[in-house]
Amino acid sequence: MSKRTSIFGPRSVLRLPSAKIAVVILAAVIFLAIFGSALAPQNPLTINANALFQGPSAQHLLGTDYLGRDVLSRLMAGTRLSVFTAFEAVAIGFVLGGPLGIATVFLGKWFDFAANRVFDALMTLPSIFFAVAATAALGNGLVQAMLPIGILFSPYFFRITRAATLEFARAQYVEAAELLGASKLHVIRVHVVRKVLPTMAVTTAGLVAGALLTVSFLTFLGIGVQPPAPTWGGVLSSELDYLSNAPWAPLIPGALIAITVGACNALADALRDRTSAGTFAPVIDPVIKTHSTLQALEVANERQSAA
Amino acid sequence: MAVVDLTNLNLPGTAGAISPRRRRGRSVASQVGRGIAILVPILVISSFITYSLGALSNSNPAATILGQDAATPAAVAHLDKVLGLDKPLVVQYWDWLTQAFQGHLGTSYFTGIPVSQSIAQRLPVDLSIAILAVILAVLIGGTAGTIAAVRRGGLFDRGVTMVCSAVSTLPAFVVGIILVVIFAVTWHLLPANGYVGPTGGIWPWLEHIILPSLALALQVAADIARQLRTSLVSVLEQNYITGARVRGLPYRRILLRHALRNAAGPALVILGNDFPLMLAGAVAAEVVFSLPGLGQLLLEAAQSRDIPVAQGVLLVVSAFVIVVNLVVNTLLNVLYRTGDGIVS
Repeated sequence: MSKRTSIFGPRSVLRLPSAKIAVVILAAVIFLAIFGSALAPQNPLTINANALFQGPSAQHLLGTDYLGRDVLSRLMAGTRLSVFTAFEAVAIGFVLGGPLGIATVFLGKWFDFAANRVFDALMTLPSIFFAVAATAALGNGLVQAMLPIGILFSPYFFRITRAATLEFARAQYVEAAELLGASKLHVIRVHVVRKVLPTMAVTTAGLVAGALLTVSFLTFLGIGVQPPAPTWGGVLSSELDYLSNAPWAPLIPGALIAITVGACNALADALRDRTSAGTFAPVIDPVIKTHSTLQALEVANERQSAA
Repeated sequence: MAVVDLTNLNLPGTAGAISPRRRRGRSVASQVGRGIAILVPILVISSFITYSLGALSNSNPAATILGQDAATPAAVAHLDKVLGLDKPLVVQYWDWLTQAFQGHLGTSYFTGIPVSQSIAQRLPVDLSIAILAVILAVLIGGTAGTIAAVRRGGLFDRGVTMVCSAVSTLPAFVVGIILVVIFAVTWHLLPANGYVGPTGGIWPWLEHIILPSLALALQVAADIARQLRTSLVSVLEQNYITGARVRGLPYRRILLRHALRNAAGPALVILGNDFPLMLAGAVAAEVVFSLPGLGQLLLEAAQSRDIPVAQGVLLVVSAFVIVVNLVVNTLLNVLYRTGDGIVS
């Protein structure tokens, strides 16, 4: 255990400058998510008819919107909903896909085949359309909107963990452990889960970025939240109707979304560089939506063992 | 058989000895067949998920259609029977799927308009945007990626890399808004919203779809440029490129006929993988530019909880994703003839 790299060790992700910047940005966003509504300088819902479409000023640092509401306060208060719902979707995907991805390796060929086809099918469902259609069926609410997104994220976790598990479950030390009488559960817990976690971390960071985009897009479309409640996407869409009054206004929530998403992506890249987890990432897989990634990986493994 | 082959030796192209061209055609056909064999179960599963959405909803369609006053238990039961909602879910699903293959996707609960009719009405909007977006993405991304790879390490290369990372973090709806602000609000060059069909003239049509398509295309173009640059750089370092240069072939010809052909595969894959992203972008573009497309139809259906419409749109869109994947895989096989379609 002593050899495990610590957060501040020489092999730590935080040694990479891009990761440092990303972590600082994400920490700020999470801080805003927790304390944003308490720290907001003004009430994000207060309408002020005397201050419509104002530019940035000392009183309104980011100006006001079409109802004279303070944009900075709305963005700060909206952070919580946007960020936490993104986490919700990723958590659902993690819970659905991750354990199954590990289990499917040990549960036999037929289970593996069936699970792969189901997850393949999930990947053909376009997330936005699926989420919107799901709210048609389940009702317009955040839980309802992010549940399908989480379900659609599960194939990514499933595939990554399955590929990684296949690799580790065949390792010689696992064979040795099994010969020594280790139970399957022990092998999974000690030899597989710990090794798979860095790979999962990379996927998680990348998908949080995707989830943030999706959340802001859905709230932009007006799915999942009722109008007065502030969200990043909601602020963006309300600015859109008044472009001729304040053409620069949508750029602020837009930049906020882009910076946060960019930070998540940068962190995912840095994690991938540091953990070499990227070797499992099915980045260039021409049949990504029809075959499983296993085929390419198996071919690679066979080549390796043959060499 | 050997005798037959011998007699046919002087007659290439007749039965028995298959011409290379025909063999290639057969291999493509078998690829398509294999692709369809894989895609059919996927289509069945994803359409079942789509259909189950309706069953998952606690809504009572019959009561919704009848309205509050007329929804007596007897009337609801009668309408359930008419709509087939009293049958088991799997039977309902099978009825719906077989109907869907004949082009009947049910009727809207509220407007009574057949779902397939509303979809057919709105599909051209998304198709025009999507096709133009693919063309733009390939043109912009392909050109930028090629030039960046040829002049790697140069100013243009670094510029492209930077712009690409910036663009890929910008969601399509933000790109769309930026385009509106620049081209419509500030410069008044193009209309900010609305749609005119191609029957209303080619220029008015193009004028209305070019900004939405560009909004869609930029992100995909960035992905294509990055991927093409990476693979082209590695292809240009291959021995056969050096060999071709030594033999004195013009560089343009080497680049276009030898290098690009071999480097295009991964970029094509990106195009296929990004297709769902483009569909999401199309919804964004429809909202930003107020276009009457499938996304708007779905959004309206979601607001009024019009489940047949939502199911129909989702089915059509997923079918598109599956078909595009099949086309991309087939194209890759034609391009490389590797047999298994895996390009590494």
